[in-house]
Amino acid sequence: MEFNGTLFVQYLIIGIATGALIALIALGYTLVYGIIELINFAHGEVMMMGAFFSISLIALSGVSADSAGAAIIGMLLLTLVLAMAFSALLNFAIDRIAYKPLRNAPRLAPLIAAIGMSFILQNIGIYWQGSNPVRPPSIIPLEYRSYNILNEWFALDTTIRFRLLDLFVLVTTIPLLIGLTWFVYRTRIGTAMRATAQDREAAALMGIDVNRTIGTAFLLGGGLAGAAGLIALYYNDNGWYRMGFRYGLFAFTAAVLGGIGNLTGAVVGSLCIGLIWSMSDGFMKQYVSGWGAQWTPSVIFGVLVLVMVFRPSGLLGEQTVDKV
Amino acid sequence: MAATLAAETHDSREASHWDRRQVTWFVVAIALFTIYPFVDRALGINRLGSWLPIFVTIILAMGLNIVVGYAGLLDLGYAAFFAIGAYTNAILTSPRSGLVQNGYIPEFLQHFWPAMAISWVVAAIFGVFLGAPTLRLRGDYLAIVTLGFGEIVPNVVVNTPAVTGGPLGLNPISAPPPIPLPGGYDIRFGASNQIAWYFLMFAVGLFSLFLINRLHDSRLGRSWMAVREDEIAAASMGINLVKTKLLAFALGASFSGFAGSVYAAAFQYVNPSQFEFTVSISVLSMVILGGLGNIYGVIFGGLIIASFDRILAEELNGPMHWLGRQTDIAFLEKHDLNSDRLLVFGLALVVMMLVRPGGLFPNARREAELTEESEEVTVRQDQQLYDIRHENEPAVGERA
Amino acid sequence: MGDQRLNELVEQLRGGRIDRRTFLARAVAAGVSAGAIGAALTRGQLASAQDSTPSPTAGTLIGNPAIQHSTDTSKGTIKLYSSWPMIAASEQIGGDSREAVALALEDFGNAAGGFALVYEALDDAVPSTGSWDPGKESENANLVINDADAMVYIATYNSGAAQVSIPILNAANPPMAMISPANTYPGLTKSTEATEQGEPDIYYPSGVRNYMRVCPTDDVQGAAAANWAFNTLGAKSAYVLHDNQLYGRGVAQSFRDAFAAMGGEVMGFEGYDVNAPDYQALMTSIADTGAEVLYLGAIVNLNAGKVLADMRSVMPPDQVTFIGVDGLFNQAFIDAAGDAAEGAYVTFSGLPPAELQGPGDLWYNKMVERLGREPDAYAAYAYEAAVVAIQAIDQVGNKDRAAIREAMINTDGFVGLLGTWGFDENGDRSSATIGLNIVRDGAFTFEEEIVPAS
Repeated sequence: MEFNGTLFVQYLIIGIATGALIALIALGYTLVYGIIELINFAHGEVMMMGAFFSISLIALSGVSADSAGAAIIGMLLLTLVLAMAFSALLNFAIDRIAYKPLRNAPRLAPLIAAIGMSFILQNIGIYWQGSNPVRPPSIIPLEYRSYNILNEWFALDTTIRFRLLDLFVLVTTIPLLIGLTWFVYRTRIGTAMRATAQDREAAALMGIDVNRTIGTAFLLGGGLAGAAGLIALYYNDNGWYRMGFRYGLFAFTAAVLGGIGNLTGAVVGSLCIGLIWSMSDGFMKQYVSGWGAQWTPSVIFGVLVLVMVFRPSGLLGEQTVDKV
Repeated sequence: MAATLAAETHDSREASHWDRRQVTWFVVAIALFTIYPFVDRALGINRLGSWLPIFVTIILAMGLNIVVGYAGLLDLGYAAFFAIGAYTNAILTSPRSGLVQNGYIPEFLQHFWPAMAISWVVAAIFGVFLGAPTLRLRGDYLAIVTLGFGEIVPNVVVNTPAVTGGPLGLNPISAPPPIPLPGGYDIRFGASNQIAWYFLMFAVGLFSLFLINRLHDSRLGRSWMAVREDEIAAASMGINLVKTKLLAFALGASFSGFAGSVYAAAFQYVNPSQFEFTVSISVLSMVILGGLGNIYGVIFGGLIIASFDRILAEELNGPMHWLGRQTDIAFLEKHDLNSDRLLVFGLALVVMMLVRPGGLFPNARREAELTEESEEVTVRQDQQLYDIRHENEPAVGERA
Repeated sequence: MGDQRLNELVEQLRGGRIDRRTFLARAVAAGVSAGAIGAALTRGQLASAQDSTPSPTAGTLIGNPAIQHSTDTSKGTIKLYSSWPMIAASEQIGGDSREAVALALEDFGNAAGGFALVYEALDDAVPSTGSWDPGKESENANLVINDADAMVYIATYNSGAAQVSIPILNAANPPMAMISPANTYPGLTKSTEATEQGEPDIYYPSGVRNYMRVCPTDDVQGAAAANWAFNTLGAKSAYVLHDNQLYGRGVAQSFRDAFAAMGGEVMGFEGYDVNAPDYQALMTSIADTGAEVLYLGAIVNLNAGKVLADMRSVMPPDQVTFIGVDGLFNQAFIDAAGDAAEGAYVTFSGLPPAELQGPGDLWYNKMVERLGREPDAYAAYAYEAAVVAIQAIDQVGNKDRAAIREAMINTDGFVGLLGTWGFDENGDRSSATIGLNIVRDGAFTFEEEIVPAS
């Protein structure tokens, strides 16, 4: 079948937006993993809790799509900040309750504790918003939901859609990523985090409070997950107690694909996953007869296995200098 | 049958290290499990059905213990092997299978026992096949690749209906032929002959336990432990790392071939949704909860988690409602624990880990490592962390 | 052990402090065996209490009006079991059906054919996976056949689970009646082009039919929708999407085959990944094919609302018509899809719960009062299934599994919530009329009745 350039660009946009969202979650995995080598299985659920918190907060505030534009934007920003704070504290509390006592336990003990936390949070999610998918309170006015920037702002006559929602994902994600990079490389506590990741003992000898540093990693990761929760909620117009599990699996895969413990790697891995996903969903059936979106999980994980075979420490696994 | 196996296990080298108390416990446990079905029937407890899947998951946990506990390779996709074992049996014996209908399967293989043996071999081959690409990987990179296989296998199964039946699954599946007993009776394996299945699974479980114990004490078993403790040292002592790791994957996987084929036959049905990520996770929880590397701990961990999953969560409702009535707390009286099962399951995992981080029954050798030389262990862990980061490929390649 | 508790309960019941249903529920919860409860009732301890139980008025009843109902409980106790998932994603859907069965028993005064009726809802899901499990379903089926008081098994929700339990109940001696409110896979009862070789006989090893279902099967529904889309709507091309599960794929296949047979062009037949968080790329590629209809075979708790929402972001309603299957006939689907659901068509046998008339209207109000929300559409079938069982017990008046099974299979002239029907020779609902509903203002509205092309 003929290659369709317009569709390709469209899938590219979708893949990048999805990848950016996954990156926010993947960073949380990678931050924690880099320091204490724990696959924090509950991380996806922290994101889900952030989303549920946002639902409750916005519903409580009474701001709706009919409110003034300033109120809507203000409310979204406020929710973003509060959801981040909520998830950060939640992640921090999970660490204190379930992982911290296990710092010197066998390596797999905290992993099981994390799996347990993930079940607990899922059940709390069911209590909170029920077991069916729910829609967030409608706060974005209808005409903006499918608002195509390319048509409306640039007056381009194209069928390619770059929606306000896609922009919303990018303008929220990119500053957060920049902020995180700045934090990790330019602040004292960030430096302490990198030092702890390199060598926990030596860092402690240098006077770094290792526990505080680990706590910071959980706070940061949780904050990003909270932001991802709010974004996913409105990007998908849908929230579900299993959303964390679903995003979490992809995000963790992305973090490993990029080279776990590596911040840039997590972002690159996430964009890869987002792109493979959209290309597979979109193009697969055109080029392989009888195939289709049902094969996408195999494609994503197949690529992961291949990358691991040829680059055993991930795409960017060798750039040791960038490690956190 | 159970008695002879027990005696054999008792004779094995592992058993010879046991003190009298442990032997007593083992014999008592065997005796309890042997009489349980009759007690169940006599008292009308009607809980025999729960024990069949519990036995299957315990066999799975024992197999996974070889990979994770003995050889120290974290596997997050063990359900893939379970699926392969179950589907091998189903594809060989189900009249609905495409291969059977097209006459590709010789008639003598379309029976339970030959199919079970083949499942064992096929699962082992897939263990090698899936293990080979992961040999150069270490730590959690390996874990994520196994997770990838765990996602790919059910996805492939559901998308290839010509062979696997796709989302419809395959059924019926061949059950063992009746075993004749003296006096004209025979033991039949129908879907409702739960006692027969109970003992069949119990026997397969004991047989697996026996084999795994022998493996553990063999030269190979000691190589696994050496590799787990320190790959480089093991390699310089002349252990072939590739062979050792591949055998861990193959033998670990092979037991899920047992589990899968018995499971498929007992419930006469396989379906791709039975082998999802959550299955891998709960089996892994059993292995770690029970105590990595200690086969009896793993069995106990399996018993706890699986019986909680299938029995306790339901049975606890009664006492709670009773308590609610006694104390007049409407919440307790009306509440249905079924809606909290995820929460209780999660809490149980977290609390047990906090109370006993090494698992309920830590492996003696591992425990020694962790307590006596805890200082060194911390350093070693950091070393490993550092390793993953700075590993350069040639060195890894050499080792592989 | 439970004797003391039983006596306490008897006292409470006599004093009018609790009603009979509460009495039975508590007695069962206290571990009093069904036999002891029956004996307590037989001894006439409850004679006075029985009188105080209001007998149901005829207006609340559905079923075959020719069958006499008796609220006498002198013969002992009969247990009805159900089995379907009631945790995690199925908590509401399964819970609604459970409540519907409980309501049916209450409406009949928890008695039939001279027996007190006790209902126990089994769950065939396990918490670690959150979905139905063959081991659990097999256990439930075995538990039921081993319970001498059990006469009817109202199960299952998933057709895959029925494949496990039908043979178990069938191999029991004598085969025990199983009635499903929700199994739609055709191969369980009959052989069509979409079913596998050997079906349905492989499910009935004893050669006796013991299984019946009150819901219409996939093949009817898919073909009726295809007929409507091609002939009434005038669509010439369709894209068929499914959730890659037995049910969703089955209906999707029957739509695809029927649509193609009429001369329509099927632009694609594809499964979607139920675990994917979004479907925008998939939907973009479907929009590119220019199909006029998107047919979706899926159930509501497998992300179907999200599929519709993403579809509408690229395919506006005036260009592409959405047709969904009865697994989506649940308010949760509309809630999950939001504004995108507006104008979507969903097929279902009969009327939406809120628009039921006569006994259906009464039933609907009772359910809303009981649940505090809209019941799931399949809850109506669960209610009907329970009534079929109760009336069979009324007819037989004995603890005779074979006779009760016969009476159930011979159900005819049954005035149900969704029309009058009986079972055909396969155990399928005889009059399977399919209703086409459209979403208007966030709720299902009945449009018209549709039929497969003749």
